[in-house]
Amino acid sequence: MKKRQPLFHVVKRESGSPGRQLLAYVAAVALALTVGAVLLWVQGVEPLTFYRQMLTMGIPGSRYPWRAVENFIKLFVPLLIVSLALALAFKMRFWNIGGEGQFIMGAFWAGVAAMNLGESLPRPAMVLVMAVAGALGGGVYGLFAAALKVRFGTNETLLTLMLNYIALYFLQFFAETKAGWNFFLDPESARPKFAKFPASAQMITIPIGPFNLNLSLVIALALCALIFIYLNYTKRGYEIAVVGDSPNTARYAGMRVGRIVLRTIFLSAALIGVAGAFHVSSAGVMSASPTNSVGWTGIVVAWLAKLNTVGILVAAVLITVLQFGCQTASATYPAIDANFANLLQGVILFIVLAADFFTRFKLVRRGGKEAVK
Amino acid sequence: MKKILALALAAAMSLSLAACGGNGGTSNPGSAAGSPSSASQPDADVSTPVDGKSDFKVGAVYITSQNDTAGYTFQHHNGITTAMKALGLDPADLIVVDNVPDNDDTAVATAIDTVVNQGADIVFGISFGYINSMNDKAADYPDVIFSHGTGYMANDTNFNNYFGRIYQARYLAGIAAGMKSVELGNNSIGYVAAYNRQYAETCSGINAFALGAQSVNPDAVVHVNVIDTWGDEAKEKQAAQALVDAYNCCVISQHCDSAQPQLVAAQNNVFGCGYNSDMTEQAPAAHLTSAIWHWNVYYETAIKAAMDCNGDASKFVENMGGNAYYAGLAEGFVDASPLNEAVAAPNTKAVMDAVRELMVSGEWDVFSGVKLSYNISEDGKVEIVRTDAPLMSDGKQLVDGQLVDMAPEIVPAGGPSVDDGVIKGGMNYNVAGVVEG
Repeated sequence: MKKRQPLFHVVKRESGSPGRQLLAYVAAVALALTVGAVLLWVQGVEPLTFYRQMLTMGIPGSRYPWRAVENFIKLFVPLLIVSLALALAFKMRFWNIGGEGQFIMGAFWAGVAAMNLGESLPRPAMVLVMAVAGALGGGVYGLFAAALKVRFGTNETLLTLMLNYIALYFLQFFAETKAGWNFFLDPESARPKFAKFPASAQMITIPIGPFNLNLSLVIALALCALIFIYLNYTKRGYEIAVVGDSPNTARYAGMRVGRIVLRTIFLSAALIGVAGAFHVSSAGVMSASPTNSVGWTGIVVAWLAKLNTVGILVAAVLITVLQFGCQTASATYPAIDANFANLLQGVILFIVLAADFFTRFKLVRRGGKEAVK
Repeated sequence: MKKILALALAAAMSLSLAACGGNGGTSNPGSAAGSPSSASQPDADVSTPVDGKSDFKVGAVYITSQNDTAGYTFQHHNGITTAMKALGLDPADLIVVDNVPDNDDTAVATAIDTVVNQGADIVFGISFGYINSMNDKAADYPDVIFSHGTGYMANDTNFNNYFGRIYQARYLAGIAAGMKSVELGNNSIGYVAAYNRQYAETCSGINAFALGAQSVNPDAVVHVNVIDTWGDEAKEKQAAQALVDAYNCCVISQHCDSAQPQLVAAQNNVFGCGYNSDMTEQAPAAHLTSAIWHWNVYYETAIKAAMDCNGDASKFVENMGGNAYYAGLAEGFVDASPLNEAVAAPNTKAVMDAVRELMVSGEWDVFSGVKLSYNISEDGKVEIVRTDAPLMSDGKQLVDGQLVDMAPEIVPAGGPSVDDGVIKGGMNYNVAGVVEG
């Protein structure tokens, strides 16, 4: 008896044209917005008004438009840096899903520096020290997982995942333990509550009229350019790509794979740590849950952009508009709470990712012409 | 195959465009004609001033969803919308950012900015952890009013805090528990608490409840089981069951979010006192009375005071008569929920009513050097007996996470009540008769 094939199976497409891919993305976003519109309509909300508010992030007609832009930047910068850093690791096929933990460790050590040295250093030096402390804190935390993988072949996915929770509860311990030695907390408050950083530990901002440009945005964009150059025009960047494609090829070519992995993961985790340091420095205070889930969202951004540096810049802007815009738009609708806004974001992301899948693969029916190619 | 897919994509796209266009087409005349589905909240309301005070905008930042059907956020949301209706404002115009974690100041600050940017004239923040951001933003936006629940920061113009004398309601619930324990001949009472001495809020509640129970049954012992979180149904359930199993508690009181302790009481054929909402509905055979909040009392006062500022936010604190609102039974801000008389011991209601009246009159308060006891006549008449007696702690207080010894006498016999500041923020000891564990 002839073995039956499944009704459908997945076949990889011959490389599609970029124009076609773009078309698929546009179609996917349109489809996602339509599904969202139906959901909004059911809740009694006029979709077009909601979307206009979402895409403009409520900025036109608001009382303090520059504040909204500042908040947008505060959300955008961590996401951009983390996505860039994760792409470095992913390019090497090192599945670093420890962005959350590395971010927290970066924030933690930056906080340690701020609380202990903040009084004695001038602002530019202090911000630099916090960035370095954050980079080391995040970098070493990532390096730990990389070293175990290189030395003992442990699974980095599991390890980085678990380290996230260790970092989270480590930080929460400091957030909730009221004791004389805990320099993070405000001694004035009976309840445990983080004290503010000294003034010199607050991120530098460049005033442009009423608007304050957060220096971390400038640095993040510069990092974007540097990483683009690093990946595309340096020997080390090339090594990352080779190790990612085939560690054996890299070995035959005389590359020291272990060292490349350690170096790259340290760099990736250190960048995430810097993002954490910038975040707490911009906030001017520690936080028990500082990440806003960038360690997870960054993975989505990196893959949406296919690990392409320019693509990451675009995807990070779009995802932040989606997140921040949803919050702003839903504020004025009693029916729309944050859960619905998250659902809407999820629907949009899901459909876009599905479109991405279908531009690279296709379903072929049993007995179809192309199945017997 | 490629062509078919391209066709399908194109079709999907045109369909979606058509759908969007369709929505636009129907909605524009719809909203102009006042269509019921969408007319209430177009964004035009930011720019169209309506005459009088009806353009006053209320904003709020919540810790969980505004669509919750029970719990802390629900109670506040309900209070705010009830107050808005009472003042002739449309609850649909309330500006809310919800699910805002209270341990990330950036998220809180962003949420407040959003609410202010959407036009709020007064912003309520309901969780303690919003304190830093509320304080900062009150300075940033002097033309907006800020009001922070459970906090202690404030200024002299546009920023106040609010909380209530829930301990008075706890004392009344304690009476119901004490009466039941006398009826059952069991001095052991249980209390599932989020925290104990770590927070004055939980600690004062436990103490007031114990004093209420002791006013009826001087031998009553309150066993406190701490779960170290404000809400976790599984832990609340386990803690309540442990109190029944280990100490044979006959009444289970609680300071945690869900009705689990009351359900456990019902399963074990014992009794209970709830918190936050009347839990008789959940456990009709066990529940006696709950210490409850009427948040709308505060919200109505605050929104009215804010509207009376007529745009000058700096007059808010003056209109409120101070920057720390702390009301109790007298103002109707807190109360014991209607007694479940089918379950409660005889005469409980009469005693509770008499003590409520005494506290409303302001003649006596819970943490003072005067103890209450009751003479109940044959026909159910209650006479309150006031005796001068010192308020005693168990001799331990919590300082920087360490239990240290303290002088046991807190208030001398006949002395005045403990200071409000201590009840709200400094109480870190248990009264005699409270046992942790």
